[in-house]
Amino acid sequence: MATATPRLIDRGDLLDALDRAASTKVTIVSAPAGSGKTSLLRAWADRPGQPHRLAVMQVQRDQHDAQQFWLALRGAVRQASDPTSRAEPPTATPSFNGRAMVDRVLSELTDARHGITLVIDDLHELHSPEALAQLTRLLTNLPPNAHAILATRRDLPLHLHQLRLAGELAEIRAADLRFTEHETRELLDASGIALSEAGAALLHQRTEGWAAGLRLAAISLADASDPERFVTEFSGSNRAVAEYLMAEMLERQPDDVQHLLLRTCLLDRVNGELADLLTGRPGSERILLGLEDANAFVVSLDPERTWFRYHHLLGDFLRLELRRTLPKEVATLHRRAAAWFADHDQVVEAIRHTQAAGDWPVAARLLADHSFSLTLDGQGQTIQALLRAFPQGTTPAYPELALVRAADDLLHGHLDEAAAHLAVAERYVATAPPDRQRRLQVAIVSLKLWLARRRGHLAGVIEQANLLASPLAGQSDDDITLDSDLRAVALMNLGTLEAWSLGLPDAERHLQEGAILARRIGRPYLEVGCLAQLAFASGIRSFATTRQRCHEAIKLAERYGWGAEPIVAPALVTLAANLVWTGEFDEGERWLQRTAQALQTDTGPGIRQLLHLATGRLHAGRGHHREALEELSAVERLQSQLAGSHALASQVTGWMLGMQARLGMLDQAHARLAALDDERANSGEISNARAVICLTEGDPAGALGALADVLNGTAPVIGDVTLVETHLLAGLAHRALGDQRAANQAAERALALAEPDRLVLPFAMTGAGELLEALPRHDTAHAALLAEILDVLHGASPAANDQPSSPPTEELSPSELRVLRYLPTNLSRPEIASELSVSVNTVNTHVRSIYAKLQARDRSSAVQRARELRLLSAGRTR
Amino acid sequence: MRPHLPAFDHAVMDPAPALYAIRIHGHLGATVLSAFPALTSQGQGADTVLTGLLDRSALYGVLAEVEALGLDLVEVRQLTRHRKSPEPGDSRSP
Repeated sequence: MATATPRLIDRGDLLDALDRAASTKVTIVSAPAGSGKTSLLRAWADRPGQPHRLAVMQVQRDQHDAQQFWLALRGAVRQASDPTSRAEPPTATPSFNGRAMVDRVLSELTDARHGITLVIDDLHELHSPEALAQLTRLLTNLPPNAHAILATRRDLPLHLHQLRLAGELAEIRAADLRFTEHETRELLDASGIALSEAGAALLHQRTEGWAAGLRLAAISLADASDPERFVTEFSGSNRAVAEYLMAEMLERQPDDVQHLLLRTCLLDRVNGELADLLTGRPGSERILLGLEDANAFVVSLDPERTWFRYHHLLGDFLRLELRRTLPKEVATLHRRAAAWFADHDQVVEAIRHTQAAGDWPVAARLLADHSFSLTLDGQGQTIQALLRAFPQGTTPAYPELALVRAADDLLHGHLDEAAAHLAVAERYVATAPPDRQRRLQVAIVSLKLWLARRRGHLAGVIEQANLLASPLAGQSDDDITLDSDLRAVALMNLGTLEAWSLGLPDAERHLQEGAILARRIGRPYLEVGCLAQLAFASGIRSFATTRQRCHEAIKLAERYGWGAEPIVAPALVTLAANLVWTGEFDEGERWLQRTAQALQTDTGPGIRQLLHLATGRLHAGRGHHREALEELSAVERLQSQLAGSHALASQVTGWMLGMQARLGMLDQAHARLAALDDERANSGEISNARAVICLTEGDPAGALGALADVLNGTAPVIGDVTLVETHLLAGLAHRALGDQRAANQAAERALALAEPDRLVLPFAMTGAGELLEALPRHDTAHAALLAEILDVLHGASPAANDQPSSPPTEELSPSELRVLRYLPTNLSRPEIASELSVSVNTVNTHVRSIYAKLQARDRSSAVQRARELRLLSAGRTR
Repeated sequence: MRPHLPAFDHAVMDPAPALYAIRIHGHLGATVLSAFPALTSQGQGADTVLTGLLDRSALYGVLAEVEALGLDLVEVRQLTRHRKSPEPGDSRSP
């Protein structure tokens, strides 16, 4: 090893040039291997007095995975903007939304208190056209306080002409990076090499100022007995500069160093332990540290200096040299490396080295066993790259890969291809060795459930789900991990399917089990998925529980930065729908917008139906009948892509008919009505629609006839939401017939049914305003709800804040709550006492206590506060 | 695990291989030549000319190697299949 260490010199002019360049939005340093790009960036970053914080990242070698690239970038930005941040690190998801990711990075850059300069090194290693397009978007939209510096070996297809035209793009190219003769001299002096002026000039001329060449020469010169002769020989040689100097440098290294370099060059990164294993000798770490200290094209990757990588140029030469001189060792080295990575849970590296060793069956098995957890780790694109690496036509020979391909297809929504690959996998299972058969079956069932869920098709799959009931016994840790991942996914999909087919109790149980399992095995992504579906599953049963579950799922998702990812969309849309049901239209609309944002990359028909349905309800509640009809039609159109029937299908059809009637499209409504099958036609939802049509046609008696079976309980209904509507329509019919007493009774029944969930939407969409206005306030037990509904009908959105700002100092007792609900009415305290069959003194006591707990001065401020806290409705769970 | 060139945006599909001559500055030794097993090499003055029958992807693969190894590319020339007469535009120099 060289006694004197070649040092990096301070290239002040170049640093100044970079300083100037960095005053533009984007700087590109584009120059070939070994031009000194990375050294320049490091020197610039370490320069004292940097006005900006630096977010530095290096693109991984041969990066094909857009998500991995963006996670690294986001991590760097976050680290720079808030080094003390305790937030969860950016976590990968199977469903990656590049656009949303760019938006997030942009907003983090905008919000950063300090200016941030993003430094991306080795950008030429990024081979994802998707990621490059997203990066273009990021660079052209950088906020004023952010800059970017990109280093690359070659010009990339980034479309930055806008920036160039605006004078916001600076470039530093190979010619700028060349060492001047003066700098060459400085480098030699700094490395303690005594060389004549003429020798230095010759060296500079021969290397053409190429940084890597000069550094290589300096390493060899440092222990050359006659430096002048070295330079003369070198410049007299016709050999390519890089090869000449690389070979010289290698030859001058001691045997053990050469031995190590050659046997570890196949790795993208190496540590002492791994190097010992590959060389079969101890002491590798010392050698690696020595090489880095000598600036000999080896750099450490972490502050603790345990992992190292070789300069790309050195690595490439070493690999050629290894294949040329030790061709028989190549496969063995890959195999040893694969084993080490497999033992250290670095599956992707293990598979890559197994493939490189040519052990295709082993690689296929490894990939099949881990593809599921890799998918869950958000490494979908990495899996694709690994699949592509198998020689063409090996799928029949390694049928396990069919499972991997099926999962990959599913992730990308290619359902037919997924089904075909699953069929191949199933045929293989029959012939698989018994020890692998069961776990492969579990994998197949899980994927089938996933496929069935995407297709909304429950039948034919559910009976196989009992395979998932018991965990595998007596298996290795790997097996158990795989099994848990599969089971958590299967439970999520099973529960989702069940919720969609209204098998509610099973759905909730399975989703709860799935969430617990996901938490236990450390899969927050699946936990969010199960919780979000759970929120949807409880959707029409209890609004209070549902809202709580929505917030729980959304909160967990936000902790991992997934607040606008498809995985949490079921909770977002359920919360929105919930708010629309209770008349909180503006707040509901905000959540609908967020749902739409989350669904940018997921075109699954089921979840889109929910979005359209909730949006349709919002329009219906606001009296925008045409828009509502459009949204509901979209729900029906999407139905054609789903095999199973939508749980709320009759409601969608019924409301469509109602909207058509209100818009005067009576012919269409009648035609549609005539085309319905008997089962659908007899449902409560369609009966309501028939009543709407009759009322529009001025036939209130006909409307009452249409509603008779619903009112007497013989027509099937989805839930109370339908019945509230039925009573309101009946009330409107009675009113049209001049029977005010019956109309009041119907309105009171509707209010009674609406009270537990505080339903407001049915009142808004049926146009029940007059009916309610006519209802004497002292005549109703639901005065609070009535007041709120009338507020909504008059255009005020109640309780704009969905979550209470601060809880009451103390919980109100059930009897206090009962009294509280009379406060918005104009009933006096004695009247309230008589309504509740208690003494006036009792009411007075309760009222004092209510004021104290709500910190209210009088009746109206108590009511105001109770509304904010959502205490005015008698929820079922209370 | 050699790096690939990024996909060329509008690469013309050209399935027929053609004979190419790739001129590199300096003489190449056994180590570097082993990176180009499909090509024959010939020293021409201070340069090395690598010649071989290559289709598009093989050609780009060779260029990627040249880049990765820090070699000094002087010229790429197609020796067969002239469209009209050879023009300077047919060759690419850095």
